[in-house]
Amino acid sequence: MFDSVEKVAQSLAEQDYICDSKIATVVFLAHRLEKPVLVEGPAGVGKTELAKVVAAATGRNMIRLQCYEGLDEAKALYEWEYSKQLLYTQILKEQFSEVMAGAKSVAEAAARVGQEDSVFFSDNFIVPRPLMQAIRSEKPALLLVDEVDKSDPEFEAFLLEVLSDFQVTVPELGTIEALSKPLVFLTSNNAREMSDALKRRCLHLYIDYPSEELETRILSTKVPDAGAQLIQDIVQMMHKLRELDLKKVPSISETLDWARALLALNANELDAEMVQQTFSVILKYEGDVRKAEGELSKILQKKAAEAAVAAPSAADAPAPAAVKKGALH
Amino acid sequence: MQKKILEFTNILRKSGIRVSTAEAIDAFEALDELSVDQREIFRDALRTTMVKRGEEVPTFDQLFDLFWSGFHDSLREAFGEAAAGLETFGMDLEELLRRIAEALQNLQGDLSELGDLAQALLSADLNMLEKLIREAAEGAGTDRIENFLQVGFFSRRTLDQMNSEGAGAELRELASQLEAAGLSPEDLAALRSLIEGLMEAARKSVRAFTERELQQQNHDYMEKFRRETLLEKSFYHLTEDEIRRMREVVERLAQKIKNILSIRRRRLNKGKLDLHQTLRRNMSHGGIPFELIFKQRKKDRPKLVILCDVSSSVANVSRFMLQFVYSLQEAFTKIRAFVFVAEIGEVTPLFQEADINEAIEKALDGGDVINVYTRSNFGYAFHHFWQNYLSAIDNKTTVLILGDARNNYNDPRAWCIRDIHNKAKNVIWLNPESPSAWGFGDSVMDKYMPYTDLAEECRNLKQLSSVIDRLVL
Repeated sequence: MFDSVEKVAQSLAEQDYICDSKIATVVFLAHRLEKPVLVEGPAGVGKTELAKVVAAATGRNMIRLQCYEGLDEAKALYEWEYSKQLLYTQILKEQFSEVMAGAKSVAEAAARVGQEDSVFFSDNFIVPRPLMQAIRSEKPALLLVDEVDKSDPEFEAFLLEVLSDFQVTVPELGTIEALSKPLVFLTSNNAREMSDALKRRCLHLYIDYPSEELETRILSTKVPDAGAQLIQDIVQMMHKLRELDLKKVPSISETLDWARALLALNANELDAEMVQQTFSVILKYEGDVRKAEGELSKILQKKAAEAAVAAPSAADAPAPAAVKKGALH
Repeated sequence: MQKKILEFTNILRKSGIRVSTAEAIDAFEALDELSVDQREIFRDALRTTMVKRGEEVPTFDQLFDLFWSGFHDSLREAFGEAAAGLETFGMDLEELLRRIAEALQNLQGDLSELGDLAQALLSADLNMLEKLIREAAEGAGTDRIENFLQVGFFSRRTLDQMNSEGAGAELRELASQLEAAGLSPEDLAALRSLIEGLMEAARKSVRAFTERELQQQNHDYMEKFRRETLLEKSFYHLTEDEIRRMREVVERLAQKIKNILSIRRRRLNKGKLDLHQTLRRNMSHGGIPFELIFKQRKKDRPKLVILCDVSSSVANVSRFMLQFVYSLQEAFTKIRAFVFVAEIGEVTPLFQEADINEAIEKALDGGDVINVYTRSNFGYAFHHFWQNYLSAIDNKTTVLILGDARNNYNDPRAWCIRDIHNKAKNVIWLNPESPSAWGFGDSVMDKYMPYTDLAEECRNLKQLSSVIDRLVL
């Protein structure tokens, strides 16, 4: 289904994900070369979203592994189910007595039990965690390793086996190979530089803040009820804000939230008051708000001056439709 | 194509982008899957397979543009000019070539007797020309070019390598033969002018090629050089730009130490068996100890009190010291920061409100608590500290003092440091001057030295990071 780069962009667009050719090319290559993709970039530019829409576009089942400090293989790969093993031992006590019946020495009895221990270390007693699930999935799956930079450096080590060979080694069972190779997306906010070994195995995608043109397209797709004027104002404002030296630079997700908030307030275009009221949607620090306010008045004055030159056409735009439910979060 | 990509890979490597062989192979595989006629996609494919760091992307983009485009265009431009010169004679290149071919037939010869270069020049075969120039440049070793002064030298060598003089002579010879064969004088004049134009175009193109090569080879060379030396560069001589870049280096170093810390701390977790916890945890397994819990060995994280001299002579050291320490905040239980020139004042609150860099800039300005426009007086500052903040120090506190101990012949009041030393776990003094200067002139370092556990020279990042490393581990 991903025949060409254009097709990829198209089918992502069908899932309401607007992207440039850079992203489409990488997704296409990941699909063709069966290589994992390491997606980096600032928070909120749609890294996780990309994995989700690719899963939707390819009809794959998405398996997500959220990384955090202290994540270990028991939570990421597999775990033996101790309690179940214990329970089975209790139930099978009699059988064990039969096995051991007639043993002349303790050593012999132990040896006989030892022969049976593969029963307890079999598929029955293993709890597959996301990495193993992705490998063993009958249908090709999509594995999302989210915020891999939050994990510990050691965690990367066993990611490597999964990423390069699509296999998992369980000492008791041997090596389990993938039935079908999953598409793998790793996202990172660059809290920590990933090791070269990991990077080498991945295709690399850096998603930056979108260009004005792209952001406009994204807005009009995601918030179709917003008017052209509003969208243009928002996009311009966001790009101005990103140039400031802010502690938390607002990204695409903030743009969308803002657009929806403004829409809920029935705004057709930006004005000072409206922006003041809704600043909290895009700026998350007090200091940032203060910095931005100065810039804001400049932008709005310029805009007012331009509007004064152009004849004031007082055509009231139709009231925007209600915001989609659940769109605000 | 393959060769060109490998060449490009080499140039990337020279610019500090680490491209492994496996990655180069990936790039080839990726290109197999794509139609490479679309420049954008071609670039994206190379980028995604070869460049794995966000900050390397701009370098890649610039190099890509330099490498994969332009030369053909500049060739076309140069030879377009030469051909345009014919207009003054009222004819175009094709027309002239046709007439030459006619005249040649009378001579019973054809153009293929000419050398490759002469042929390519005359027929304006740009692809062939590009190939010839590239080969010649390779022969001339242009990829070893290092600075602008060598452009002329390598251009000349490249021209010699492709025997441009010989080609010129051949062409001129051809013109005289054609004259003998009865080419009209007007055509002949046009041809002669064309030949000179072509030779000039060839020279220009080779020079342009050499300059591009220089740009490619040299791209980031200085950058890399600077970054490497930045670690060892003395804090005294930093430009604005270097301070900005230094900040990034400090950040990276701090990150590195953090990574190491996380590993070391995990090793510490393996203490003795915790019987209590083990029994509790394994109750669900019928009391059979499947999972063992170990006691955690506690490692005291140090408390830190930093006294920073922020007089202009050592401001930079203080800047990076503060940045370093605050980037590693979680390695310490508590940090209190003081700045002084003559008065001393606490700037800890600054770091709780603003982000690190902002707070540092404020602190270096005295943080609204002290006057920075006076002459250093260490004795006064320490006495003041002794009077007001001595309670900040307990037996778990490491005191880090940063200053050149140039006291302007004031009373050093070393007994303050002695008292601090008696109360604190450690007193570490970092001095940006080299030890040979300590105690000379107005330096009172020798008076303070007896009361410090460690006095170190700290004039560059390398030394700073080694001190911090010892501090947190």
